[in-house]
Amino acid sequence: MSSKTATTLLPEERRKGFKEIHRCYEPHQAYLEASRCLMCEDAPCTQGCPAGVDIKKFIRKIRFHNLRGAIREIRKANVLAGICGRVCPQELLCQKECSNTEIDIPIDIAALQRYVADVELRRSVSPPVRQFAQKMKVAVIGSGPAGLAVAANLAQKGYEVTIFETEAKPGGLLAYGIPPHRLPPPATQKEIRYIKKMGVKIKCNTKITDIDELFKKDFKAIFISVGLPGARKIGLPGENLKGVYTALEFLKDVIENKGKTKKTRIGKRVVVIGGGDVAMDAASCALRLGAQRVDLACLEGYDEMPSSPEERRISWEEGVEIHTRVMPVRIIGSKGRVTGYKGIGIRWRKPGLFVPSNAIPIPGTEFSLKVDTVIEAIGQLPDTENVKGFKRIETAGPGYIVAKKKTFKTSRPGVFAAGDIVNRGATAVQAVADGNAAAEAIDAYLKRKSKHRVTSNQ
Amino acid sequence: MKTIPVNLGIEFCGVKFSNPFILSAAPPTDDLDMLKRGLEMGWAGAVLKTTSVEKNKVELVYPMISGLSFENKKVVGMGNIDLISEHHIDLVEKRVEALKKEFGDERVIAASIMGAKKEDWQGLVKRLKAAGVDVIECSFSCPQGSMGEVPGAMLAQSVPATEMVTRWVKDAARKTPVVIKITPMVADIVAVANAVKKGGADAICASNTIPSLMGIDIENFIPNPNVAGKTTYSGLSGPAIKPITLKVISELSKTVGLPITGTGGAVNWIDALEFILCGATTVQFCTAVMHYGYDIIEDLCEGLAFYMEEKGISKVKNLIGKSLPYIVGHDDLSRKNRVTSNIDLKKCVRCGLCYYACQDGGHQAIELGRDRKPEVDEEKCFGCGLCQSACPIDGCIELKESEKPRKIAIV
Repeated sequence: MSSKTATTLLPEERRKGFKEIHRCYEPHQAYLEASRCLMCEDAPCTQGCPAGVDIKKFIRKIRFHNLRGAIREIRKANVLAGICGRVCPQELLCQKECSNTEIDIPIDIAALQRYVADVELRRSVSPPVRQFAQKMKVAVIGSGPAGLAVAANLAQKGYEVTIFETEAKPGGLLAYGIPPHRLPPPATQKEIRYIKKMGVKIKCNTKITDIDELFKKDFKAIFISVGLPGARKIGLPGENLKGVYTALEFLKDVIENKGKTKKTRIGKRVVVIGGGDVAMDAASCALRLGAQRVDLACLEGYDEMPSSPEERRISWEEGVEIHTRVMPVRIIGSKGRVTGYKGIGIRWRKPGLFVPSNAIPIPGTEFSLKVDTVIEAIGQLPDTENVKGFKRIETAGPGYIVAKKKTFKTSRPGVFAAGDIVNRGATAVQAVADGNAAAEAIDAYLKRKSKHRVTSNQ
Repeated sequence: MKTIPVNLGIEFCGVKFSNPFILSAAPPTDDLDMLKRGLEMGWAGAVLKTTSVEKNKVELVYPMISGLSFENKKVVGMGNIDLISEHHIDLVEKRVEALKKEFGDERVIAASIMGAKKEDWQGLVKRLKAAGVDVIECSFSCPQGSMGEVPGAMLAQSVPATEMVTRWVKDAARKTPVVIKITPMVADIVAVANAVKKGGADAICASNTIPSLMGIDIENFIPNPNVAGKTTYSGLSGPAIKPITLKVISELSKTVGLPITGTGGAVNWIDALEFILCGATTVQFCTAVMHYGYDIIEDLCEGLAFYMEEKGISKVKNLIGKSLPYIVGHDDLSRKNRVTSNIDLKKCVRCGLCYYACQDGGHQAIELGRDRKPEVDEEKCFGCGLCQSACPIDGCIELKESEKPRKIAIV
């Protein structure tokens, strides 16, 4: 499919800087797209949304000229409407079963969602009125999508919610992990401001190390959504050379410095190791920072990569050279600096299991690339010390929190957890979905608790 | 953004409606379960499909519906060769009772009737009154079949007949409001509406479908819908007839002075609002419901309420007829208005549609410059508005006041 559409910039234009690659619809374009929707009775799109947005309904509302109704409908299920409209891998979720695919192309659901969210934020509509104040305090640790969703839902139910965030800006990976051309920071912060308007307090530059302190400060329930802030490393020979970075530190540098870098330095020839969305983001950022050639080397085959097909296509269009089914052997250096990457082709021992331990190198397929920068994007890890410092919370492996499915209860009463720290890394919309469910569970828990207290007082 | 609380409620002929949106007399109102479903979803009321006395035989034919498509859009218009309901007054009076019992005053239950003789009309009215109906609508305009002396003719095409039958109905209905549904297919609709008024009706329903031929299958030369090799004229409804309805409503509002329930072509709340701005008090829906389902009521109510909130208008009543002062006869339009076409080149996609339109249908004022860029020669432009209508981009071409006098070259 051609990349030139009404709302997507041409690859040449994209590579020039960090301009958002998809433009927002003009009103007539949104209306045109909405009127292509067949409004199917069983609406397979709606069933494909993890957060449960009633997609058929919101598109119908656009079509019937009810934009305010449309955004209200979306935010009921997904408070991060504009953010998810930009970063959702829709082709794997809602769009996958779109009946229009049988006629021409599926409805661009994400673009429509983003359109109504942007229109609303531009007009600064106030959030719905809060329910009766419960006067109970809830603490949320971490301001990524799960934390924001929990906070927004509980604030709507009348709780006093405070989010504690280690970094200077709220948003978690939304603020520090997704480059501006995919998710412009103002778009993220606008939506977070909306959540603040709902009554949520956000305290940045505040790292919580002791949850008992929070209980002492009269927080009746705690929700942990600290995400996975650590970067996984491969453990290659040459990994400590100058010019080797993790994708997380690189992306954070790019975002914090608005399209420039201070702590990391991108050279002329870059190799990115990894096949996920973060790897694609790192590669496209390297191109934008002036790299003449960016290679991406990943273990998986083209259709086995964990990145979304759309992300893959976009990187490829922009000129990223993708090498599939290869594994790194070593990073070559000279005088302490990176000078090359050495890899080898692989095959799978067991089909369908795309992990390093299942890869068998194929002799004779060794190859090397002349590079001056290596970016590792092979996954993220918990902040082990931080998580293990939370007392009486059961963890697994390097510090993933163990929480019950559906209720998101941890091993400690009154403490709940969701998002990447529990599911070990999933989409933003999944974090929102889990956050919504966790908010219901916290509400039920607090209601039960306060009832109990009343009875015991009698 | 500042907003104010609004109330969608409206009074029509002394009957209170929770919002201005009603299901019109049509297939969506000809089954008790369907009616209940629609009313539960929020429709303020329903006009039960036109019924008649038991001895009146109604024989329907199938297929009866054909859609009018235009380019990529289906059901721009819908044609039907349906007749009045096969269900007679004995069943309809039971439905009215059941609905009144279930919904009380929360929903308005109206019923549409059609008869041949005086005693039919009056008998129908009395039985519906006994069943507790809120409003009686009379179909004087069913375009298919006929119950009068002239085959195919509608009652509302005769001014004296309209007045006479209206009086029969009103005499029997007494305090129950009577609404007469008329047809736009007459030479002088004002005369017909005045007859309705003289006959004593409380309101007018404007207006019914437009008799039409829906299209032809060019393979076998048989027009749609094909009923065993033959067809007949359909009643056209849907978005295609909205401009006709708007004209009828505004004309009657300006001249007759009876309350109007508008019907014919409204799909969304903007359409409905336009009906109201032309003078309708309530708006009836059929084709849109048949196409998209009862649940469009949600967006009708929300859309209108949000609009009113933002406009600072708290009551629907304050919107009725608001556009009427701006509709005048052609002679009363200003001859001094001098506007010309202005093209926003940032929005322009260089399709050249305006150029085409201006060259072959206008005054050759638009030329294509370098890079297919359209340029308007202000002196040649009459400001006719054709380019603006043809342009695919909203807001790309605007008509703006111009100081430059136009230069006319007559060849």
